[in-house]
Amino acid sequence: MSQRNIFLTFVLLLLGTSACEDDFIGRTPVYSIDSENYFNAEADYENALIAAYDLLQATYLNVMLGEIASDNTLAGGESATDVIGIQQVDDMIHTPVNEQLKSIWNWMFAGVNRASYLLEFKDKIEFDGKAQILAEARFLRAYYNFELVKWFGPIPIKGDVRFALGDETSLPRASVEEVYAAIESDLELAVADLAETAPQVGRVSRGAAQALLGKAYLYQEKYAEAAEVLNQVIQSGNYQLSADFAGIFENTGENGPGSVFEVQYTDAEGAGFGCLQCSEGNVAVGFNGIRNHTGPVYDSGFSFNVPTQAAFEAYEPGDSRRDVAILDIEAWAAETGAGFGTGYEHTGYYNRKYIARKGDSNIGDQNLTNPNNYRSIRYADVLLMAAEALNATGNDEQARDYLNQVRRRAFGDMDHDISSSGQALGDFIQVERRLELMGEAHRFFDLVRTGAAAGAIDGFTAGKNELFPVPFEEIQFSNGNWSQNPGY
Amino acid sequence: MRHYIFLLTLLLGWGGLSAQTITVKGTVTDASTGETLIGASVIVIRSDSDASTSGTVTDFDGSYVIENVPAGSSLRFSYTGFETTEREIGTSGIVDVALGADVQALEEVVVIGYGTQQKRNVTGSVVTVDNETIDDLRPVKIEQALQGTVAGVNVTTQSGAPGAGLNIRIRGVSTNGQNAPLVIIDGYQGDLSTVNPTDIASITVLKDAQAAVYGTVGANGVILVTTKTGNKNSPTQVSYNTFFGIQETSKTLNMLNATEYGLLLNESYAAGGQALPYPDASTLGRGTDWQNEVFGTAPMLSHDVTVSGGSDRTTYSISGSHLNQEGIIGGEKSNFTRNTARLSLGVDLSDKLKLTTNAIFTNIDRDALSENGLGAVLFNALNAPPTLPVFDETGEPSLVPNTPGLGIEVINPVAQIANTFNDYDLNKLNGQVSLDWKALPGLTLTSRVGFNTSNSEGRTFSKLINYGGKVFDVTRSSVSQNAINDNNYSLDLFGTYQRTLADKHNFTATAGTTVFRELGNGLFATGFDVPNNDWEFADISLATGTSPEGARDVGSYSYDERRLSYFGRVQYDFQERYFLTAMLRRDASTKFGPENRAAFFPSFTAGWIASDESFFGDEGPVDLLKFRVSYGILGNDQIINNGYIGTLSGEATYVFDGILVNGTAIGALPNPSLQWEEAKKFNVGFDLALLDYKLNITADYFINTRDNLLISNIPVSGIVGTSAPGGAAPTVNAGAVQNKGLELAISYQQRFNKDWKLNVSYNLTTLNNEVLEVNNGTGFIEGGAFGVGQLAPSRMEVGQPIGYFFGYQTDGIFQNASEIEAHPSQIALGADAQPGDIRFVDTNNDGVIDPNDRTNIGDPIADMTMGFNFQLEYKRFDLLTYAFASLGGDIVRNYERALSDVNRLDYYLDRWTGAGTSSEVPRVTTAATANGVFSDFFVEDASFLRLQSVQLGYTLPFKAGAKRSSSLRLYVSGNNLLTLSNYKGFDPGASSGAPIGGGIDYGFYPIARTILFGANLTL
Repeated sequence: MSQRNIFLTFVLLLLGTSACEDDFIGRTPVYSIDSENYFNAEADYENALIAAYDLLQATYLNVMLGEIASDNTLAGGESATDVIGIQQVDDMIHTPVNEQLKSIWNWMFAGVNRASYLLEFKDKIEFDGKAQILAEARFLRAYYNFELVKWFGPIPIKGDVRFALGDETSLPRASVEEVYAAIESDLELAVADLAETAPQVGRVSRGAAQALLGKAYLYQEKYAEAAEVLNQVIQSGNYQLSADFAGIFENTGENGPGSVFEVQYTDAEGAGFGCLQCSEGNVAVGFNGIRNHTGPVYDSGFSFNVPTQAAFEAYEPGDSRRDVAILDIEAWAAETGAGFGTGYEHTGYYNRKYIARKGDSNIGDQNLTNPNNYRSIRYADVLLMAAEALNATGNDEQARDYLNQVRRRAFGDMDHDISSSGQALGDFIQVERRLELMGEAHRFFDLVRTGAAAGAIDGFTAGKNELFPVPFEEIQFSNGNWSQNPGY
Repeated sequence: MRHYIFLLTLLLGWGGLSAQTITVKGTVTDASTGETLIGASVIVIRSDSDASTSGTVTDFDGSYVIENVPAGSSLRFSYTGFETTEREIGTSGIVDVALGADVQALEEVVVIGYGTQQKRNVTGSVVTVDNETIDDLRPVKIEQALQGTVAGVNVTTQSGAPGAGLNIRIRGVSTNGQNAPLVIIDGYQGDLSTVNPTDIASITVLKDAQAAVYGTVGANGVILVTTKTGNKNSPTQVSYNTFFGIQETSKTLNMLNATEYGLLLNESYAAGGQALPYPDASTLGRGTDWQNEVFGTAPMLSHDVTVSGGSDRTTYSISGSHLNQEGIIGGEKSNFTRNTARLSLGVDLSDKLKLTTNAIFTNIDRDALSENGLGAVLFNALNAPPTLPVFDETGEPSLVPNTPGLGIEVINPVAQIANTFNDYDLNKLNGQVSLDWKALPGLTLTSRVGFNTSNSEGRTFSKLINYGGKVFDVTRSSVSQNAINDNNYSLDLFGTYQRTLADKHNFTATAGTTVFRELGNGLFATGFDVPNNDWEFADISLATGTSPEGARDVGSYSYDERRLSYFGRVQYDFQERYFLTAMLRRDASTKFGPENRAAFFPSFTAGWIASDESFFGDEGPVDLLKFRVSYGILGNDQIINNGYIGTLSGEATYVFDGILVNGTAIGALPNPSLQWEEAKKFNVGFDLALLDYKLNITADYFINTRDNLLISNIPVSGIVGTSAPGGAAPTVNAGAVQNKGLELAISYQQRFNKDWKLNVSYNLTTLNNEVLEVNNGTGFIEGGAFGVGQLAPSRMEVGQPIGYFFGYQTDGIFQNASEIEAHPSQIALGADAQPGDIRFVDTNNDGVIDPNDRTNIGDPIADMTMGFNFQLEYKRFDLLTYAFASLGGDIVRNYERALSDVNRLDYYLDRWTGAGTSSEVPRVTTAATANGVFSDFFVEDASFLRLQSVQLGYTLPFKAGAKRSSSLRLYVSGNNLLTLSNYKGFDPGASSGAPIGGGIDYGFYPIARTILFGANLTL
């Protein structure tokens, strides 16, 4: 070969490789689906809907921390520094730097975004049953937004499109009124399209959307609207108070006749501390569990969320709900010979509705994979919410009826019926909510919305602690766009 | 033509038999001292290149005799430390030779990436570790040979467990992503961790912009490995190395014995207002020493054989090795076995065409025990109460009680070892074929294909086991298996053109292209209900159970990543005195989106050999003085795959109708505008050789700035939903880090007389790391973990070293109530202070101690590291010592479980027990305190000096007059005999290697102290 030929060959080879650069480097990733080129079949919508449901399981933290924030329970745990963020919320000394509050913010927005992802592509294809899927997505987004507004007050709202990076510096925190307007809008659309009976256990029924809408109205003190929509749930005849109150919180009582909406958990899959929101089990249950328990019925746990003496004593004699809601561990040990340890802030009581029980598969980490469903909206709650709304709009008779339905089940007789009216009745309804819903994460927010928190919760500062602080990092990320909640 | 060759061979062969032979004799001496040399190798090089080459070694008088040497042959004299010399045999038959010292600095050729260069002419910061160093150190893994031997290179162990990984950092940590240097084995991208050290001829480290020819992958520095080949015209040489070693732990911690423990617990319970757990502690005795129960002596055995040689057209080298190492914890439960086989071949296909190829097969079998943190064997050994016997009355391992004071994580470590079952097997084949074609005078074209293909299988058996209500209880047995395939190939095509103009201007130009592609997949599955709850039956084929419906017991992944590069380099020198090199590389990578797919990386190096200037003169002590300077921009693309597009790789699992259902969700958030990390490297330095090259000094100053730092999973606003299961924040170019430092290497070698020879070398590196930019909104990134449920202890923050420790500063111990009174409240840390508790500093002077008072309380980056090497030879004895020191780094003690009843280190014997008793160690109590929050109480000085290796050898020559230079060296070696450090934990040198979160000791498996007995046989 001549000098020239060699040179030419070399150059050609180089050019040859450069010509295929686009083919070689511009390869499509192997075995992956592009998120922006999805929703091409009904199954795609169904799959994306499952993703939107997934974050419901992360609400275990809202439930646990919400209860600890109230006057019902103390943080507990192993020591004063065991999950410092939880300890601080219990003592109302929390600051914007709080891992658990950050998680609630992050996880609930993750839920919002997964629902919005589906809704962003709502018009891409048509198929029978799409309306039901979209309605479920709307319910879920409303559910997550409702959690966010309860915890943090004003939050950014974007409509049927995902949040994008940079929105934190441009989208304002919508006012509480605007957030509720978005929640109402989503729920109204959902109610219109949802089937009366959910297509599968665990999915949303029309009644669930109505109940959540009623709750959203109630939180805004829109009592007439609340009473109307909650009455629709009650009058639908789809729900009833199950006679066996204790049974509701056992595995066999899940998704029972009084279940309006339930967050579904299972022990079928393992989980780890590295990703608590990934667990398919109810993480709160292991955290609430009895420290070092050895004995029948219950598995052990981390002794968080322990009821106070005052909560135990709040029940009247004869109220069957006390021993369902609160386990007196010393009495239990004396009765069964069970062993237990004492953790931090040991009160001798456990949040019995949501502590670990034996009988599940205990896949590791067994404390994170308890299968206990969270009874998010119970029929009794609907009755009490309706009673509250009716009382506020002057229909005390109907309110008393709903209240007493709940009390009759609790006492097994009619001797404990409430007969008062007006403000007194309203006060009874609030007390009843505490007793009926003890351990179920309603108390703190009920106290806040009725203005009673400062008098009930140690360390609660009026004008500040009604809301939790927006995570420190979020304020930083917003680069001045968002201001911190008052007092933090 | 072939016929002629055949005839010629026949003729010459005939001639060889009939030609005149003579007897050659003579003496070999040291040119500098005139002393005779014993055991110098004398080899006959015959003109006909007959394979039956003969030779001998010199006797005690330095003389030799070889009979039947064909006339016209020549002799090659070689001796370690001297320059190999060839002489023709005159008619007299007497050849006396005086060997000069081996002036490696002048002749040595260094690989610099896509080419080689004479060491004298190298203008980058380049260091070579030769096979003598590797032979001396006898590393089990080759990374160990770089520790302390090369300035600017720091090697840390992730664990002392056999087969555990090591981290190499060249000139510090520059990114919070991938910091490992690029490894090039014989020209193709490879992996150090599986290589058999005895197969390596040399390791070259490119520390500065010299690495720029590797563009996008060179930002962390480049390690070039050259494997052994045979030599042309050499007789077949067989070398066999073996050693047997005994390993034991290099350290045990001083824990409380049972009596001390009982008394401490009594005090603690009393302080917390609780009943005494051991009312009569006097009967407890010493109790169980759990470290004694888990640590043992473990054997280690290695064999390797290399056969090499060559004719005038071919070279070959064939080797095989076997290494077996048991762990000092758990013995064969942490066993490591490595077998390798290697073939290297070089063939001159014609005068212009040269083929070289080699292939390495590696087989690794490794078993491992749980390490680092909660659940590790050592963690359990340190925390289990000494009052608990190893076995209960029935002979079963006793259960650590399930009590609040002991928690639910501490289990009996002896039982844990017995119940651990796993296996990892790797089979790997890697190698290369390359063709050099001297196409024209001065022009060489090279094409090369390099490849790695590996298959690994893993298996873990979770036995049905009850530890008494602990988190490690297993209620359903299972076996998890995986099969992973990793493959890659590199194709190189480049030309090198050399030309000299006017006898003064020397040019070398290199240009070419590299294609790199890696692809592979992994498959994972788990089966439940293993028959008989037995490891012997632990295979998915036998397991009868599955997870409940909907739960996935299987998983997989695949990848296909590619890189296409062009590069060019021009090296120019004027009279080999003034040097200038310019390099440019363009890379395109699949890691980035269409707009940022390709980038250019320019660099240059320059040098001046001042000692060649006339004003230096020929006389005087200075042999070589060379100044070097370099600057270049390199890249880093080592980030997650496909970070620029959104994929449905998230987790979407919920429960409908009581069973798990799986959907699809978005995974990591994409960042379409991802671009390369840019490493700007500046280096200035000099090389100085004095006293006939006996004293060599190299000094460098460097500034490495890494811009557009790729930060994976960078914290972003939660509103975009990145915290969802399977989600992740995007990878963003959002930071800058700078490393500055000084490197100094001094070596001195002196042969005093025929009996004494000395080699001393010392190197020093200083490192100053500073984060220049973290552009994520908060200005910092957190990492690491301390204790349980505590705030992240490590940060990357502007103005601080990367991964510095962020916690509370302490100011002694509160001695009495009035001191507490006078101090801001510490309630926000979890409890009001009592006398005997740690006093924390109100760093922001706001009148309360809270998380805002956290500050810089140390960093894991050593300010200075040094290596020291001393070799002394006396007659047939040789002694060598390698030592390494690291100064100024910090380490966090995080292996103590903060529970009331766990065992403790004996520094608690000096705890506060009343006013004035201690100003360092707080009181013990079961009541709530803030003493366990992350503070400088837990940060210790990680400075240490370690005697890495001391070796004493004796070389027996086979009797003088033998045909070859054969020898047998016997040696005894002690590794890690001594570590001087104030650190309370096992190993101050251990680190996870994480840029943020490194230097936190979760209970590192200590490195072994080893005594080796070995033999090196050369035939």
